[in-house]
Amino acid sequence: MVAGHPAYEVTGGSVTLELDGDEFEAAEADEWELLELEPNERAALGIFLGFQYPVEIEGVTMVNFLRTALNAKLDEREELFEEEESEDEPADATNEDAAGYDTAPMEGGEEGEVGVAEFQQILQEKMELLDMDESFASRYLNVGFSGGEKKQNEVLQAAILEPEITVLDEIDSGLDIDRLQDVADGINALRDKQGAGILQITHYQRILDYVEPDHVHVMLDGEIAKSGGPELAEQLEDEGYEFVREEAHAA
Amino acid sequence: MSQANVDVHETLSPEQVRTISGELGEPEWLLETRLDALEALGELEMPKVIRTPGRDWTDLHGLAFEEFVDPLKGTQQKDRVTAAGAEVLDWETALTEHGDLIETEFGRTVDPERNYLTALSTALFSTGTVVYVPEGVRAEDVTIRTTTNSRSLFNYTLVVAEESASVTILERQDTGDSPGDRQYYSGIVEAIAGENARIQYGTLQQLDEDAYNFQTKVGRAGQYGQVNWIEGTIGSRLNKSTVETHLEGQGAESTIVGAFFGRGDQHFDVASRVWHEAEHTTADLVTRGVLDDQARSVYEGVQDVGSKAWDTNSYQRENTLMLSDESEADASPKLIINNHDTEASHSATVGQVDAEEMLYMTSRAIDPDTATDMLVEGFFVPVMEEIEVKEFREDLEAAITARLG
Repeated sequence: MVAGHPAYEVTGGSVTLELDGDEFEAAEADEWELLELEPNERAALGIFLGFQYPVEIEGVTMVNFLRTALNAKLDEREELFEEEESEDEPADATNEDAAGYDTAPMEGGEEGEVGVAEFQQILQEKMELLDMDESFASRYLNVGFSGGEKKQNEVLQAAILEPEITVLDEIDSGLDIDRLQDVADGINALRDKQGAGILQITHYQRILDYVEPDHVHVMLDGEIAKSGGPELAEQLEDEGYEFVREEAHAA
Repeated sequence: MSQANVDVHETLSPEQVRTISGELGEPEWLLETRLDALEALGELEMPKVIRTPGRDWTDLHGLAFEEFVDPLKGTQQKDRVTAAGAEVLDWETALTEHGDLIETEFGRTVDPERNYLTALSTALFSTGTVVYVPEGVRAEDVTIRTTTNSRSLFNYTLVVAEESASVTILERQDTGDSPGDRQYYSGIVEAIAGENARIQYGTLQQLDEDAYNFQTKVGRAGQYGQVNWIEGTIGSRLNKSTVETHLEGQGAESTIVGAFFGRGDQHFDVASRVWHEAEHTTADLVTRGVLDDQARSVYEGVQDVGSKAWDTNSYQRENTLMLSDESEADASPKLIINNHDTEASHSATVGQVDAEEMLYMTSRAIDPDTATDMLVEGFFVPVMEEIEVKEFREDLEAAITARLG
């Protein structure tokens, strides 16, 4: 819903994204009503949804897809912020965009685009971080990937797009222990190095051994039934959900 | 009855046929064949089209031939690049140098009286090409470009590869200075691969979108021989094209690869057919098409496994992707098995862009138009991977990219 799945109808409420900080000097502190925006515009603003079941797309290589996505994000951001800004805002004074990539038009791409050579380098770095074999770059998007590889690929995409908010839906399901470690490293890097906010949805404590949460919320019957710190997750692992249910019913 | 009611033949005369034949310096037998074809028009039917309740998918009777078939004014520009090893000859030269070969092969693979339109084409063709590759010669690639400059053009091509010879032919069809609001282009190709010979014939059709195009291409492959077809269909208003292979010899093979991309009110009626007539034969039929706007497509695929075709391998896949709600597609893959010693598969799908795929791409900041373009290019990749000839693959990719705009 946050990303804009067409199968869901919003019956009430709102989703607001508030952007501030140095990076967004150009846009000042800014609020965006996500429900009024198209999925690609939401993504450009920095929403990333890690799919529980990523689709396989034949004939579209990873490297082509990821570079197109990155450039689309940079391009769309420029448009969104331009619309919002007053006209006295000076034109691009630097070759660095909001995400910090050098977009000098010398890399073979169109002006302002991340060129092929530069992108290869970015991709290689991010893949190394996730311990992904570089051969993945030339494979078709998710085609023939194992369940775990698909999840790794979701985190890779987040790492490249550098979102503000990343929603990871059951990113830990179907992962063996080695890959869980790789994926966790990727998530930690997103949070610690790129400063992304991460909403991780899981049924298991296991991944929380590798990615320590700042906040834990327990959802019950569609509502937040209990909130706490990392210790809440541990309590759940030891005692199960029963005590949350009892507390909720008692209330 | 689907008796031809176009009556174009009533405006044609044996005299016109004699004139065409005479100008090409043809022998008597050929003139007789043409006159027989002309005479047969009164009895022949239009090619069969796919029918679903209440509907003929391709309306051939709507063709107002008499308005634009002008048999004595066929003009065209033909560029034939002769390749080392292969003889690539215009019709008059071929008749002089290979008269006996032509007399043996002409009309043997495609019966001139197969239907109304093949007979019309046989009676009226004014331009022809013969590609002849002698025994054991592995020829370089042959390219033929036909540019039609008249309202109607009838074309004939014969390809003969003798034992252990091989050749690849790339034919490009397009329209020159637009010769009027409607044009009719008709072609017959007969391809004969001898023992252990290999013919690969690719066509990239980019005719004017006011043109009607009718093509029948049929090959025969001898023992361990191969006839492979590639059909790229981009142009024309109404396209009815058929490619077929008869696997006559033991171990013969055929691959038929098709790609089409229709827009506006284009109508593509395409068929791939193969007959397994001997032991150990293999066929692979792969077609993919995309439709936008109000474009329509009809696909028929036939794998016919004869009773003598022991140890047959036969595969067929067709997929049509529709980009608009107004486009329409019908697909009919047929598998006929008369020998149980067969490994075969056949499938066809017709569908629109997958909403999950679209969301996946747009949720990564890619706008819907760019996402669609990427999905379309990706959709054609399995077909492109089947095309060995780089030049042809690149041309087809360029045509598809150009269509995406």
